[in-house]
Amino acid sequence: MNAILFYVATVIVYGAVDSMACLALNVQFGFAGLSNFGFIIFQAGGAYVAAILSMGPWQKSNGGFQQYVLGWHLVWPLPWIGAAIFGGLLALPFVFLVGKRLRGDFAAVGLLVSAVLLNQLVNNFVPLFNGAAGISIVPAPFSGKWNPQGLGYQFAYGGVAVVLAVLVYFLLRRVTESPYGRSLRAMRDNDVVADALGKNVRVQRTSMLILGGMIAGLSGAVLVGFINLWAPGAWGYAETIVLFAAIIVGGAGNHKGAVLGALLVPLGFEEVTRFIPPLSNPALVPALEWVAIGLLIIGFLWFRPDGILPERRRILSRSATSAVPVLSSGESDSLINLGNLDQMDFRQLLRLEGDANDHGIILASDRLTRAFHGVTVVSEVSIEIQRGRITGLIGPNGAGKSTTLAMLAGTLAPTSGKVLYEGRDITSMPSNERAKAGMIRTFQLASEFKKLTVLENLVSAIPRQSGDSFPGALRGRRYWGREDVENIERASEMLEGFGLSQYADSYAGGLSGGQRRLVEIMRALLAQPTILLLDEPMAGVHPNLAHKIGDQLMRLAASGMTIVMVEHELAIMDAFCDPVIVLAEGRVLAQGTMAELRAKKEVVEAYLVG
Amino acid sequence: MSVFLSSLGFGLISAAVLAIATVGFTMQFAVTNVLNLAYGSVMINSAFVTYYLNYHAHLNAWVAMIGGVFTGAVASYLLNRFVFTPFQRRNLPPITIVIVALGVDLVGTFGLQAIIGGSYFSYKQSLGREVHFWGMYFSTLQLIIIGICIVVLGLIHWLLKYTRLGKAMRATSANATLARNSGVRTQRVISSTWLISGALCGLAGTVFAMNTGVFDATSAQLYIVLMLAAMFLGGPGSAYGAMIGAVTIGVATELSAGYFNPQYKEVIAFIVLLGMLTFRPFGLFGSEKTI
Amino acid sequence: MRFSKMVRRGRLVDNSRKRLVLVASALALVASMVTLPVAEGISGATSFKGSITIASVAPFTGADAALGPKYATACYAAAQAINAAGGVLSKQVKCKTVDTRGDPADAVPAVRQMYATTSNLALVIGCTSDEAATVVPIFGAHKTVSFCMTGQSEFDAVHYPFFFRLVPPDAADSVAMVQIAKRHNYKNIALAFGNDAGSQTFVAPALAAIKSAKMTVVSNQTLDMSASTFQTEAQAIVQAHPDAILMEALGAAGVALLSEIYQLNGNKMIPTIGTSAMIDPVFFSGVTSGPVGVQNFISAFDADNQTVNASGPAYPLYKKLVLAQAGKVPGVPSFPGLLSANGTVHLYDGINMAALAMVMAHSTQGAKYKADILKIAEGVRGAVNVSSYAAGLKDLKAGKKIHYVGVGGSYLFDSYQTAFGPFEDDQFLANGTTVAVGGSLGYCGLTGCKAKL
Repeated sequence: MNAILFYVATVIVYGAVDSMACLALNVQFGFAGLSNFGFIIFQAGGAYVAAILSMGPWQKSNGGFQQYVLGWHLVWPLPWIGAAIFGGLLALPFVFLVGKRLRGDFAAVGLLVSAVLLNQLVNNFVPLFNGAAGISIVPAPFSGKWNPQGLGYQFAYGGVAVVLAVLVYFLLRRVTESPYGRSLRAMRDNDVVADALGKNVRVQRTSMLILGGMIAGLSGAVLVGFINLWAPGAWGYAETIVLFAAIIVGGAGNHKGAVLGALLVPLGFEEVTRFIPPLSNPALVPALEWVAIGLLIIGFLWFRPDGILPERRRILSRSATSAVPVLSSGESDSLINLGNLDQMDFRQLLRLEGDANDHGIILASDRLTRAFHGVTVVSEVSIEIQRGRITGLIGPNGAGKSTTLAMLAGTLAPTSGKVLYEGRDITSMPSNERAKAGMIRTFQLASEFKKLTVLENLVSAIPRQSGDSFPGALRGRRYWGREDVENIERASEMLEGFGLSQYADSYAGGLSGGQRRLVEIMRALLAQPTILLLDEPMAGVHPNLAHKIGDQLMRLAASGMTIVMVEHELAIMDAFCDPVIVLAEGRVLAQGTMAELRAKKEVVEAYLVG
Repeated sequence: MSVFLSSLGFGLISAAVLAIATVGFTMQFAVTNVLNLAYGSVMINSAFVTYYLNYHAHLNAWVAMIGGVFTGAVASYLLNRFVFTPFQRRNLPPITIVIVALGVDLVGTFGLQAIIGGSYFSYKQSLGREVHFWGMYFSTLQLIIIGICIVVLGLIHWLLKYTRLGKAMRATSANATLARNSGVRTQRVISSTWLISGALCGLAGTVFAMNTGVFDATSAQLYIVLMLAAMFLGGPGSAYGAMIGAVTIGVATELSAGYFNPQYKEVIAFIVLLGMLTFRPFGLFGSEKTI
Repeated sequence: MRFSKMVRRGRLVDNSRKRLVLVASALALVASMVTLPVAEGISGATSFKGSITIASVAPFTGADAALGPKYATACYAAAQAINAAGGVLSKQVKCKTVDTRGDPADAVPAVRQMYATTSNLALVIGCTSDEAATVVPIFGAHKTVSFCMTGQSEFDAVHYPFFFRLVPPDAADSVAMVQIAKRHNYKNIALAFGNDAGSQTFVAPALAAIKSAKMTVVSNQTLDMSASTFQTEAQAIVQAHPDAILMEALGAAGVALLSEIYQLNGNKMIPTIGTSAMIDPVFFSGVTSGPVGVQNFISAFDADNQTVNASGPAYPLYKKLVLAQAGKVPGVPSFPGLLSANGTVHLYDGINMAALAMVMAHSTQGAKYKADILKIAEGVRGAVNVSSYAAGLKDLKAGKKIHYVGVGGSYLFDSYQTAFGPFEDDQFLANGTTVAVGGSLGYCGLTGCKAKL
């Protein structure tokens, strides 16, 4: 009986350690979209540091049979705290891999390769962590006072491990169920758009690497204190794959899913297979284990990619009316009614400032050029955008309109030339900074945050939220709660104005094309723009709805908002834009009102020919 | 000097195997935009088929090699048809496909291990005479492998530059939608690419095992790192970039082994890979648009 | 929590219930498997009154997968003879394997699970360098006697009362290798040792021994066991023109290195001296089925080994028992090759000694019989020499004192309960078995080999 209890204690400790690891990886992967294929590095680093902090200098310990650095003989819990800190510090060298310029799968591969590299280095460089032999006779906490092999100690250890896992759970939940968590999920769903709305993708990812790294380091410390030995054989890169399988099975984006996955896969799987009686070929079982993990990954990603416990839909609590249950979209776009938008005062709703009749130059470009591979897509484009007007940017396919818009917004860097905003040269300002300065752009293709509800999509755009930062999130709801309620109210108002209240709690990805376009516009408006850069906002939208949208845009402009609109349809240009800039083959062909342009021969030709 | 030359020699054979492997790998990325992390498992399965045909079916080594190449081609084709393409149709983010590829790699590698067991196999073939020229040392087998590599890379060059299929491949990898609209039968091109690159994969696995002489089911698991380093050095998706990258990495690793410390010889590949990912993920010869 | 209170009604409840069922059944499945101890050791034969279990705790999978089967064979062989003689205190001896997978993080739950599912565990054998440091304290806490196969130096100087070691510390092994080199009058020595835990411990004592034997180290290569080729290392060795190579690199790496040295040396093998762990049928078949070939290999390879008393009284029975296990233990390519493998030899002796100690102490509990192991091994005055369990049992029943002299000779334990006999120089025969050449190397300590203690 006693022996069974020992086994149970072991299972409890391993379960807690695996849960902590999966919770941390889930925040990185499931919530923030950061595929940390090198996760094991952080757990291993923490385990090593906990070991060498709790042991004395190597020359004087245990006959000096193993080499390692440090050896400060610290008393618990200092080694564990040190392990967590080291896990966080380990994230810093990887900052370079998680910027927005590098594809997610490339970054993931870089992290994977780093895990392999570090394992090899530690294996071969003995003075660091004693090479392949690893560090053994690691003392369990308080092993001088109590017997670590006693049953009571082992259960107490398990208890501490479980308490830590629970604390980690609540800490991570606090982070993810905050406005910051919303931004993380937005970044996960579409990092380019999140960036265009002002989120600093690199900082967010680095923060998640650090947070996950600290927890991984702590989990490593808990493990090494229990098994008293840590060697490179215990932390190959494939361990990370097991954790990924766990999260995919349990449910990415759901904390309980992470714990479930941890109990089922790294814990459950490994332990269950020990009970299989030795078969003819003992090598068969571990090989088949790996095959099963591979099949689990493929199977779940195919049949049930959300896992056993999918990510919860977040219904934002608000005082608004809708008691109607959540529906999926279906209304025909032609029938969309823009609610009582006509009655809304844009200046008040969008906090517009300044003189609505001021038509000075707010945005200008000076010889903006963009070339790929020797092909010049945009060449020496110099334009000026007036405040309070809707300026159209028109031209045939391939004229460089979207590219020009992207350079104005900062999504693309120009090969040469300058962008000036309110007189300042912002050419080297990154896009998320421009968004914070009031330059908000939309995208041609669908860009809603698919796995956020419509209301979450809108609220996520509101700038300067006190809960939309890592420290802010840590301070908890008491700190950002009231402001969040106000923001939700604002977004609900906007939603009601656009007549889409009943979709507030639907996933944005499930709406019709026209509805998604409206969501995008609403979101852009909530981002408190001073200037709106719209990339073909009417593309794929029913003409009725497009007309209604256009009317509202004109009202917006009259309220003082500056709008630049890339458009294809001449009819729309005609109806809403004044002035209009015509681009062809990467150059400015002409500028002026539509009437003026129609009279110009070269414009007509460019359109008929191009 | 003698260290330099002998290391250069080792580097050339290393580069030959790596070049065959990386060209196949990068071609798969070019047309499908997927980092096929299951490539190593196809390599080792092909290697084992060759070994089996040679030793247990007592076929001639060349015939056995063709068996390995064939295995690689068929397995890669099936992999794309029944795994990558269906997943890609679902419009998932690229990382999901990479995770799926990791899953396939586990199934392929450890499925093989479940069948053949955990211990290693030795190639008996005599390595042939030892050849020594210009300060470099090769066994006859290694010279044959280098010869195969040159022939195969030449064939790939001919394919890409002078055949219709090659042009279609280049068009599809540059811009699949545009290619399709221009009349290229992209589905056929993709299938052909996987067959050809799969054949390269099978060949690479076979010569890898023959060169090392001893192999087991997990021998090729870490080879992916060298392939990635070579691919990213030359530019992902570029066959010529892969060739140059492979030669560079192959020679550099052996030189660092010779001059510095053979235990750390792969570190240089890692550093190159991480450096390229950080600063120039489109490779030395690519540009931002290519990815 | 506040977020979801509005949707407790409606469709979402159905979904969440379905999910709950899924979760609950998944957990129930896992829980049932974890708490289901498989009934072990139900005696089959009618003449036994119960059974005891001897567990081989070792890697059966992973990089050191070759080790586990060697030890398991010792158990099966010894158990067969013990059971034929009526078992231990009328209990049948059963062998169990516990796979540590060569990973300390896996070894701990494996051992815990072993204890949870084995009610009559009497002895543990195996425990290699991969996991010994972490499992030996657990064995001690459970008061289980363990015979371990680790040469790690920490066990040279730390007291573990239930830990017995029948193999020499790696330091002594190194000295024996140098002794063999000295016999051949080799002057220039190259070293090639794997970077894994088990192999690196040989290097420093080997260097010291070479220095005191007035030989020269011309090359010292550490091999990364995860690499697939070692051309640079092989080239460095060949270029250094050594008279001999001292080596321990198990697995595919060792085979690859030897093949490449052979090739770069103009298809000629450089005389190589391996450690006792290199006497391994898997390694033998790997090298000989490669380009080096059988004849070239056996004419140039020596390994130090503990003396296997092939002409002694224990050997014929031992040989018969080991060969009788052919086909019953997976992972062993050649049973004749195991006959002089030190894992098989010494664990066989160890099990016999432990079984006899249990009879002497009238108990299968480690705390009670461990002292008797020492007595049987040392042989008190007036003790009769016995070489098998059956003979020892007979003498014990007749009231005599016994001294066990096994396949490995007699065992003299030091104060850390490490015992090893004299060393010998082994060479391979074409069929994979080994034979001792030259005279005994004597007992090897850190300062050299001496004829007698």
